[in-house]
Amino acid sequence: MSGAPRAHRHGDRPPVLGIEGLSIEFAMRRGAARVVDGVTLEVWPGEIVGLIGESGSGKTMTALSVLGLLPRTAKITAGDIRLSGTSLLGLPEAQLRAIRGRDIAMIPQNPMSALNPVLRVGAQVGEPYVLHRRADWKTALAQAVRRLTDVHLPLPDERASEYPHQFSGGMQQRAMTAMAIALEPQLLVADEPTTALDVTIQAQILRLLREIREEHRTSILFITHDLGVVAETCDWVYVMYAGRILEQGSVERIFAHPGHPYTQALLRATPAAEPAQAELVSIPGTIPSPLDLPRGCRFLDRCPYRFEHCNEEPPPLAVETDHTARCWLLEAVNG
Amino acid sequence: MQLVQHERHRMGLWAISWRRSRLLFIGGFLVGLVVPSAVFADVISPYSPYDIDVANKLQPPGRTHWLGTDEFGRDVLSRIIHAARISVKVGAVAVSVGLIGGGMIGITAGYFGGPIDMVLMRFMELLFSFPAILLAIVLMAVLGTSILNAMTAIGIIFIPGFSRLARAATQEVLRQQYIEAAHTIGMTDLRLLTREILPNVITPLFVEAMAAFAYAVLLESSLSFLGLGAQPPEPSWGNMLNTGRGFMDQAPWLGIVPGMAMLIGVLGFNLLGDGLRDFFDPRLREAV
Repeated sequence: MSGAPRAHRHGDRPPVLGIEGLSIEFAMRRGAARVVDGVTLEVWPGEIVGLIGESGSGKTMTALSVLGLLPRTAKITAGDIRLSGTSLLGLPEAQLRAIRGRDIAMIPQNPMSALNPVLRVGAQVGEPYVLHRRADWKTALAQAVRRLTDVHLPLPDERASEYPHQFSGGMQQRAMTAMAIALEPQLLVADEPTTALDVTIQAQILRLLREIREEHRTSILFITHDLGVVAETCDWVYVMYAGRILEQGSVERIFAHPGHPYTQALLRATPAAEPAQAELVSIPGTIPSPLDLPRGCRFLDRCPYRFEHCNEEPPPLAVETDHTARCWLLEAVNG
Repeated sequence: MQLVQHERHRMGLWAISWRRSRLLFIGGFLVGLVVPSAVFADVISPYSPYDIDVANKLQPPGRTHWLGTDEFGRDVLSRIIHAARISVKVGAVAVSVGLIGGGMIGITAGYFGGPIDMVLMRFMELLFSFPAILLAIVLMAVLGTSILNAMTAIGIIFIPGFSRLARAATQEVLRQQYIEAAHTIGMTDLRLLTREILPNVITPLFVEAMAAFAYAVLLESSLSFLGLGAQPPEPSWGNMLNTGRGFMDQAPWLGIVPGMAMLIGVLGFNLLGDGLRDFFDPRLREAV
């Protein structure tokens, strides 16, 4: 990653995924809960982009909106979602269905429950070929075995005719990944794909995702709450908190100079591998309810550096080139 | 898992499969008595079930008539075998009506929900609120007394039960993540219903079908006992039992034999249903 601004590295091509000013609201009895608020995010070709945030920050809703699979009670109230320049909002369901699985695919959080227990794994991995390419079963099954080979499942031929419960967690996640990359989609949305797995398996799956990016030039939107996973996997990071993007930048820069007090706190709260840092730090307080957001900065109540200015919401301010954070402190520093 | 493996080594595969599928074996054996009797009734019966031989009426079980003769001198064994045919036919037709009708109603209600669910299920509850035998009698009164109408009536009785089961199973499946995963690869409603939902719903329906089969045999016997099902001289376990009732002190075999036949039929289909459930569920099949 050189010093040139991110967007310029890709010439005239639009980003694979362009989310602009996206807001998502749930209608509740106490009023509208805005769980995603003005989120702007880009995923460029071949990038692995981390969307990091704690539970309730709105990261999963953002991911579901990309697939057009928001729960019925949720409404997109503002903004746009574009796939390689084409807006996905307002597309009829049939067209969205044609895009899902072909252009955008998802790797779920929990592979054990994401595989149908009564169908053979090969039949499930081959399903996208039947759905989108109208392949016959024999072809689909052959393609499924090829994809299972791609994800380094041992003995793919035999494994394809087994049932999900005969697979270990890691193998199940490999099968889900094989299903997701079946038709070589432009964009993979991985929603906490390693959270349900143990650490050694986690590392294997992360390596697999990087490999898929290298071999197929697939862009990946990687949703996680785990900073360690981000550091290992992603090129670019968006830090989400209470429905807003608080900071964005390249992984190296964010880890080297976190601009927002929230990101700084997150980094401190990550347990280090070496026991040099004996005490585990936590961030005091809890994430605000989307029904009761603070008027100014979203992190106001938990921020150790708050001052008067923070009652007014900060815009994204530059920390350095291609690295912004929504914090008034930066204005003070930058002068 | 480890425990299972230890067990497997110690007890050997035969013992394991016996332990896991003894219901299947016992049920299969009992059903194996009833169903072939029904199918090959004409071949295996020693006599015609209709031949009257008044000289030899009310003969106790013996060499010539293994299970004795009835008040008209007809061979009881032959009549029991032919009656199995009616029981199996009624069971098969009634369960098919119930399974297909109830399955379609239940899956539709469960998948679409909302007003469709509301209307369908209230109607099912209306049917359910009648005692089964009373509903059968009402339906028979409307449709007329015949064995075909008995099959239809029993089938209609089964529809609410199957529909509730199918609806609950569908709703359960809809909550699963693999349905969400199916959406993420762009699956259509129809394909989702047939490929993801149906195979997950069919197992409980199948088990229920076997239990319903047993119940259908019992209901048909009840209707025939009351004179609403199979009409004399057509033999049925129910009308044979009814006849036997009048001869309990002179010829107890006339009551005991159809009673035993019903026991074997009902118990057999019930056990087979339970055994098949264990066998067909891939989550339980692994160790077999």
